[in-house]
Amino acid sequence: MSQNIIEIEQLTKVFYTDEIETHALSGVHLTIGRGEYVAMSGPSGCGKSTLLSIVGLLDTPTSGRYTLNGKEVANLNFSDRSRIRNQEIGFIFQSFNLIGDLTVAENVELPLTYRSGMPASERKKKVQEALERVNMAHRMRHYPAQLSGGQQQREAVARALAGSPSILLADEPTGNLDSKNGEAVMKLLQELHAEGSTICMVTHDPRFAAHAERQIHLFDGKVVAEGEMTQLLAEV
Amino acid sequence: MNALIQDVRYAVRQLLRGPGFAITVIVTLALGIGANSAIFTIFDQVMLRTLPVQKPKELVRFEWTGAYSGSASSFGGDTGNYFSWPMYKDLRDRNTVFAGILAADRSSVGISWHDQAENKDAELVSGNYFDVLGLRPALGRLMTVSDDTAKDANPVAVLSYDYWKTRFTAAPDVAGKTLLINGHPFTILGVAPEGFHSAIGGYTPGVFLPVSMSDIAMPWTAPRKDLTNHQSIWLTLVARLKPGVTAQQAETTMEPLWYALRAQELTGYRTVSERFKDKFLNHTHLFVKDDSTGFNPERQDLRMPLLVLMGMVGVLAAMCAVNVATLLLLRAAGRVREISMRYALGAARSRIVRQLLVEGAVLGVCGAIAGVVLSPLIASVLVRIISNVGDQDQTPYTASVDLRVLGFTLLLSVAVTLAFSVAPALQFIRPRLAESLRQSSGTASKRSQLFRKIAVGFQIALTVLLLGGAGLFLRTLSNLRGQALGFQTAHVLSWQVDPTLAGYGDDRTAQVEMNVLDEVRAIPGVLQASGTTDPEIAGNQNGSNFTVQGHVAPEEEDMNFEIPCITPGYFATLRQPLLAGREFTAADVKGAPRVAVVNLTFAKRFYGTPQNALGRLIAEGGGSDVKLDTTIVGVVGDVKHQNLRDTPRGTVYRPYLQQTLPGGMELYALTDQSPETVESMIRERIHRLDSKLVVYQMRTLDEQMDISLANERALAFLAMSFSLLALLMTAVGLYGVLAYATAQRTREIGVRMALGAQRSAVVMLVLREMALTAVIGVAVALPAAFAISRLLTSQLYGVQPGDPLTLAACVGVSAVMVVLAAAIPARRAASVDPMLALRSE
Repeated sequence: MSQNIIEIEQLTKVFYTDEIETHALSGVHLTIGRGEYVAMSGPSGCGKSTLLSIVGLLDTPTSGRYTLNGKEVANLNFSDRSRIRNQEIGFIFQSFNLIGDLTVAENVELPLTYRSGMPASERKKKVQEALERVNMAHRMRHYPAQLSGGQQQREAVARALAGSPSILLADEPTGNLDSKNGEAVMKLLQELHAEGSTICMVTHDPRFAAHAERQIHLFDGKVVAEGEMTQLLAEV
Repeated sequence: MNALIQDVRYAVRQLLRGPGFAITVIVTLALGIGANSAIFTIFDQVMLRTLPVQKPKELVRFEWTGAYSGSASSFGGDTGNYFSWPMYKDLRDRNTVFAGILAADRSSVGISWHDQAENKDAELVSGNYFDVLGLRPALGRLMTVSDDTAKDANPVAVLSYDYWKTRFTAAPDVAGKTLLINGHPFTILGVAPEGFHSAIGGYTPGVFLPVSMSDIAMPWTAPRKDLTNHQSIWLTLVARLKPGVTAQQAETTMEPLWYALRAQELTGYRTVSERFKDKFLNHTHLFVKDDSTGFNPERQDLRMPLLVLMGMVGVLAAMCAVNVATLLLLRAAGRVREISMRYALGAARSRIVRQLLVEGAVLGVCGAIAGVVLSPLIASVLVRIISNVGDQDQTPYTASVDLRVLGFTLLLSVAVTLAFSVAPALQFIRPRLAESLRQSSGTASKRSQLFRKIAVGFQIALTVLLLGGAGLFLRTLSNLRGQALGFQTAHVLSWQVDPTLAGYGDDRTAQVEMNVLDEVRAIPGVLQASGTTDPEIAGNQNGSNFTVQGHVAPEEEDMNFEIPCITPGYFATLRQPLLAGREFTAADVKGAPRVAVVNLTFAKRFYGTPQNALGRLIAEGGGSDVKLDTTIVGVVGDVKHQNLRDTPRGTVYRPYLQQTLPGGMELYALTDQSPETVESMIRERIHRLDSKLVVYQMRTLDEQMDISLANERALAFLAMSFSLLALLMTAVGLYGVLAYATAQRTREIGVRMALGAQRSAVVMLVLREMALTAVIGVAVALPAAFAISRLLTSQLYGVQPGDPLTLAACVGVSAVMVVLAAAIPARRAASVDPMLALRSE
């Protein structure tokens, strides 16, 4: 089995609106190894969020190959993609996407409830562990609206972690946070990486991109620069 | 299971966190489901429920067609539903396919118990009545064949369970005791079983008496309910099929016997032509029909109104489902990100659909429970309207919810819940996850916006349909109320007094009634007082065949005329116009020359003009040997007699005081003030005349008219209520859709205003949003309303189905509703601050 969790070859994504074709991604190649921390950056409209959506199986490519954990996933049906998302992928969004009617614990438990056969006791245990990991265990009975932005994002991280996914996908995770809370979330991601988590983050902020060990730069739907942070920084 | 519990918990939490939304939805569902349950409650009792007897499916009843000549007394329905006593006995004793045949008739008798007299409905029944029905007594014993033998020889009675409970306080020792029926002692045999009212559907007699006692139970009808006369038809026959025999087989088997009995009956006719004989013998048939629900002539009257109401509440239920679906879709528009997130976290489609269905089911259950609570309230209004005023303690209909109604409500609730839950579930079948999760706020798809517009258009169309129906029923009610009856109802009070209850013999009844009228005439404020044996607008029809001097009636000519017996001053009391001749006077008594007053229809048919009728001779009965003994002394205008839809039929009024045993009367008093003001004085005067005389069914003629219009009022009232409810629901749906659409367009409106759009242009922008939908909805509804209204023809009066004025009014009301519902969103849109709107993005 390959050490790469994600292998993408010649990936394209074309959006059709009326008679207009928009090429969001044009022949992207990308690999992400187990335990890597990758940042994707680029100007607005360069295709980074589209790429992350395809990587996260929220969207499907127009063409190309996509292998996740050694399995071809580019052309899976909706149901199979749901199942793989549930088991392999943890999401962290810019706007947290917490469900307001669920408590902190219930939000974190949510992906586990979609996993068949997991006993309630095990779910509770995993929720507890995830919340402890992000220092939110004391807030588990609160509702998202009762938390600060930073706490909400930590809760979202806990939700992403709870299912022990192969990879964490973070889409502008600090976009809605002030600098202090933004730094705290980035520190948390770094700690998770240090503990062995594979992370792929989209950000347009070079300060946060600098936290990753490898950075991919996209422009007009293509990867235009890729390398270790130290190497890229040196080139700059 | 755990996940399901979680879904339920989440759904309940959502309800609690959005109480306004939850209450709107639950109230909408409660009204829709409650209205359906209520109408079904009555529909079931009137149309579907079988008699509470042993194996009701084995019960059949007889109906015949063919020529006939004689006297017929009915309590509703065609003459073909009634039989003579001799015919009954022949059918009962000579058939091979029935386990038993019973006979029954309705009556009203005076019952005295412990010196307290009252008038009560009774059922005259053959001795085998309870045996054929397979009933067991609640107390004592029931009537048997041995209790119904020779004429006047069986003074026995069986009490109905309800009457025993109320009037006899459920006394356990009542069997064997004596009560007075029309002043005659009768021994109580026992009490009929609980829940059983009568073999006649919708009838609730207090006592069951043997047919052999009919002369005592119904003395004034004795000549027309003769137990020996083949030509006196008045009994309803119900039979129980032998095991394994079908109604069709029984009908075929009975055919030869029926022809044989008809031939035998014909020998009793004094003079018959060959043509009549042929029609009598060869153009006749005996039908054997299902009677599991009991013969109920009123069922025909109620059938169509109830079907119409069931149809209307069905439409209302559909509107509820669409309305709630619209509201749920509006809420779903704000949940796009939540649901997308659930998908992103790995939820399968089935799981999301299940969650949305569970959320709908929780709302549905709450709505159904509220509907079941509401149902008896609506049903009680209906029961009150369709039950005659003053007889509500005797109504066979109940507003309470039973298992059948609960079952119906459950099925309806499931159907409605599925209908409204599917729409939001469908919206999330193919989500656009990446797009939804990136947006700063969730918005609805174009598809769901289109659905909402279609839903609102659908509701507008159904509202126009319901309003159209309600409008036609309102106009029918108005036309019936406003029409000329031929007499005046204002300031007229009516009541009954039964002298036999006070111990007077049948021979003294007439004198007591006349004394009562004298007393009433002496009351200040009473202008006239009189009485009739055949009250107006009370559903009565008492006819008899007549011979008219100089007129040779062909065999097929209907020579049967209404025959009220009235006291002097009757026409003056009711202000019925005297067109020629005179009223009856105190001189028109027994022994004096026999006289009659005929109505205009009669006079025109035989004499051309009222004047020509005066002095002409007529006679009750037919045949060549009939003696023309009655002189026409007056002609009066036609009246609506039986009911308000009645077409005037020929009527021969005869003097009450010229009749032998004329029986009880409906008494009328014309007052110079509000008739209610003399009620107590009339009671007091009658009490002073004889304290044992009981006054009952005292009401004004206007109230009597209300009773006669009970079905029409129920239909108009409920149809209008349901239509207004539909209007309200549509307005709520329309408001919700417009408010949401306007909120979605806030930025666009801001841009337009920044570019110089006037507020009026913004208002028009919002109104235009729904104008096209409303126009399409109305355009679809109008032809449908026209087509459907044709089905209602039998319920209309004085207005055509698809009446343009009514439909135009409906469209007008709907247009006002659309404008009102759009006013708030339009006003809100017009007050958008362009700077804030543009900054908010």
